[in-house]
Amino acid sequence: MTDLTLFQLVGVFLFCVGIFGLVRRKTLMGMLIALELMINGAGLSIVAVAQLTEGDAVLGQLAALFVMGLAAAEATLMLAIILVVVKRFRHSKTDGIFQMEG
Amino acid sequence: MEIMAKTAFTFYCLIICMGSIMAVTSKSLVRALVGLIAVMIAVAGMYLLLAAPFIAFMQILIYVGGVSVLIFFAIMLSKASAEGDEAGPVSLKKAVNAFVCLLAPAVIFSIIIIRHPEAARDAAINVSPALLGEGMLGPYLLPFELISVVLFAAMAGAVLAAWRKRGQK
Repeated sequence: MTDLTLFQLVGVFLFCVGIFGLVRRKTLMGMLIALELMINGAGLSIVAVAQLTEGDAVLGQLAALFVMGLAAAEATLMLAIILVVVKRFRHSKTDGIFQMEG
Repeated sequence: MEIMAKTAFTFYCLIICMGSIMAVTSKSLVRALVGLIAVMIAVAGMYLLLAAPFIAFMQILIYVGGVSVLIFFAIMLSKASAEGDEAGPVSLKKAVNAFVCLLAPAVIFSIIIIRHPEAARDAAINVSPALLGEGMLGPYLLPFELISVVLFAAMAGAVLAAWRKRGQK
């Protein structure tokens, strides 16, 4: 097994555990934590491919940086959404949130 | 040095395994966040092993310094108690769904990755941050500018969404 395969298997592991948590968790915050796991796995896979194959390494590292920026933006929005949901429903359990009207 | 690298890789793998399992199964959300932070730091170590130190430092700055604090604020402001929302048994249907969602991509991606290995180079190349900066201001200027617009829109939208609700009361 090459180094690239090992790094990519770690990335796949993170992605799969993240999707497991995303389905299994009962609150929005737990889902957010699982989502960050998935994004980390994707970033690791991108950087591994950029550094260990003949592809453009600069492009790969910049792509990982952009993924990080998007993850930061997404976490900010999720914070606001969770605040609004908690203020409206008094809890953040995903099973009990049905109405979406502002 | 080869043995050192393999030892470090195994160490980071162990941290990633334990941290990620803690992040998705822990009853307390704060403990889950601690597991997530451990995973983030171990992934930064993986970036160092891949000879990408700049990405590793950005990982620690943005994820460990920024995103985890945001998630902690979300946990704190939603008043999640330690044995609160995540406690109690998970329904059987949800557990089965979660395992199917875990297994399907794991099997498919692992088969693809192992069966069709990409032609890899022996050692990772080292890209200096100066080259990254030139890339950001040269051929990839548009995504660089777009991500600043996206960040600004996300921040402004977050403030607007959280503030308007408070004003209505």
